[in-house]
Amino acid sequence: MRNGTTLLLLAAVAMLSAACLTTREALAAPAQEVVDYNVSPTRIIFPVGEKPNSAGVGMRPTVFNHLVHEKKIDNCLSCHHTGETKACTTCHTMEGKAEGNFITLTKAMHTPVVAKRPKGEPTPQSCVSCHQQQLAQRECAGCHSIVSVAHATRKTSYCAPCHNMTPSITKAQMQQGSAGVLPDKDKVALAAETMSAQKSVSHLTPEDGPYKVYIGEIADKFESNLFAHRRHVESIMEKLKDNKLAQAFHTQPETLCATCHHNAPLSATPPKCGSCHKSTIDPNQPERTSLKAAYHLQCMSCHRAMQVARPIDTSCVTCHKPRAPQRTD
Amino acid sequence: MNRRKFLSILGSAGVVSALSTAREAKAGGTHSFPYYEGSYGVLHDTTRCIGCRQCEAACNQVNNLPKPQKSFDDLSVCATRRRTSAREWTVVNKYVVHGKPVFRKLQCFHCNDPACAAACFAKCFQKQPDGSVAYDGTQCVGCRYCMIACPFYMPGFQYDDAFDPLVMKCTFCAPRMKEGKLPGCIEACPMDALTFGKRSDLIKVARSRMRKSPGKYVDYIYGEWDAGGTAWITLAPASGTATAASANPAHDLHPLDLDTHLGNRPIGELTYGALGAVPMIVAFWPVLFGGAYAISKRRDAIHEAEKEAVAREVKNDISYVVNTAANKVAETHGPAAADTVRQAASDALKVCERPLRS
Repeated sequence: MRNGTTLLLLAAVAMLSAACLTTREALAAPAQEVVDYNVSPTRIIFPVGEKPNSAGVGMRPTVFNHLVHEKKIDNCLSCHHTGETKACTTCHTMEGKAEGNFITLTKAMHTPVVAKRPKGEPTPQSCVSCHQQQLAQRECAGCHSIVSVAHATRKTSYCAPCHNMTPSITKAQMQQGSAGVLPDKDKVALAAETMSAQKSVSHLTPEDGPYKVYIGEIADKFESNLFAHRRHVESIMEKLKDNKLAQAFHTQPETLCATCHHNAPLSATPPKCGSCHKSTIDPNQPERTSLKAAYHLQCMSCHRAMQVARPIDTSCVTCHKPRAPQRTD
Repeated sequence: MNRRKFLSILGSAGVVSALSTAREAKAGGTHSFPYYEGSYGVLHDTTRCIGCRQCEAACNQVNNLPKPQKSFDDLSVCATRRRTSAREWTVVNKYVVHGKPVFRKLQCFHCNDPACAAACFAKCFQKQPDGSVAYDGTQCVGCRYCMIACPFYMPGFQYDDAFDPLVMKCTFCAPRMKEGKLPGCIEACPMDALTFGKRSDLIKVARSRMRKSPGKYVDYIYGEWDAGGTAWITLAPASGTATAASANPAHDLHPLDLDTHLGNRPIGELTYGALGAVPMIVAFWPVLFGGAYAISKRRDAIHEAEKEAVAREVKNDISYVVNTAANKVAETHGPAAADTVRQAASDALKVCERPLRS
């Protein structure tokens, strides 16, 4: 080849510049990591209120990891929307205060959609609204287009990941906390105890499930489908490997399985799809989809939300081998 | 039967007919067609529909409709906005809503209180207890009023049949339902974008889907109330932000050709009052006008008879006078003179007979 040298040179230049760019990024990256806002890494959010909490009861306080959150956010104004670095409970109490526009603490933390503020003012985030927005990321969207977090709000298991204060907190401490006068050393001790009591969940591994699954109960026009179960689980787990949000909220070993293996109690050996979904619809149970539709809805909803481009919805043969010669039209 | 009796009968008949017409019109205010509690319906979830045209193919097959020129595997036809016709009782159209493709299946909505039935004077359409709107072509005269009345432009007409053209539309596969089978399209749908069940259950299903996936659907079940409610109801995907969607559902429904301006009362209600009176008029007007005609005829006849009697009497009187006068003349002047008198009298009478008679 005549241009061989030129090509080689060009390739070398390209590689060099790419290397330069990446190293510069790599060099620049740690600089951003240094975060020091002079805040202790964990805070405890008590249900602070005006009313004297003589019984020392109330919603279990939240140990809030400030460091983890501030690293994820570009702008402090997302939470500290007034521009002052005050604690939320200064203005938002259980009863609501004039300073907080009478928005209660419960609402300030949990409202799923915050009304957009007029131009110039930053729109604040609640814990729930911000977390829900994260579900739009590709790695979350697949399951969470099917499993809606908002729908689960009525279950107590939904509260537990955040309202995680150690049960050893005394009534007196709770009382002081609600009044906002708990000494710092108690707070540190409680937070430390809570954090050390937390164990990371050991999720089921892809190897705990089957390697491939034959789906052939309703094979008619097409051959039975060979579903790469392990590959799918592996791919999802790989994507969520470093996702702290997912780690915090997927609290059960089988949580990830529950998107597809839904409505049954969590288990490493969930019932087959066909034990609930029949090949024909029962008009008395209109919401229970037919088996074929159940598969298609789960597969396609997830693929669509994760922007998996390849199997076009209407291209049957991408997933199903046609049953050889007996096609009618 | 004298005139007074006849008139009183006529009057009371008129009052009765007016009352019954009024009652019919009033019944239209609620349900002039019986409302069937356990009737079936279909929930069409357009967020699930992928536009595979399996429903079209199944419809074509189970109803033995003529094969189309382009096969059902050709999905490009969805891009043109097709209408249902006598050959295609259902079509799937593709709509681009805010940059995303949405597919919607069109077929007869099987209204709770169908406008086609209200418009048909041959009573070809009937809402059935199973939820379907059945068409019986034996009495059809081919006026196509039903096609004009339908707010969804669904019935098709066999224009190519010269001798007995019929209106054709989705039957909800009523024959299959009688056999205990599901309608063809529903059985064929690989996504359960068509959910079959009792209409009352489907409304709940639709609401629960909205609840489970906030922001996914427009907060509007098309067909729950539109045009008085339809057996087939449709869910449409929401676009944009939740606030924009809740502001006006029509924004998201109109791009799908779903008309939200049909009102929540049956279309037929506009005409029940007037059309309900038509049979009354047909039955009653011949009697009314026939009677009026008979009365005036009879009056003429009586008048004529009376006039003739008077004329006869006058004639008798005159002949009596003439005879008496003639007899008197015969006694005094002889019979010849009497004959002359008679002749003179009859001549004089002839002159004035015409005015006397008429």
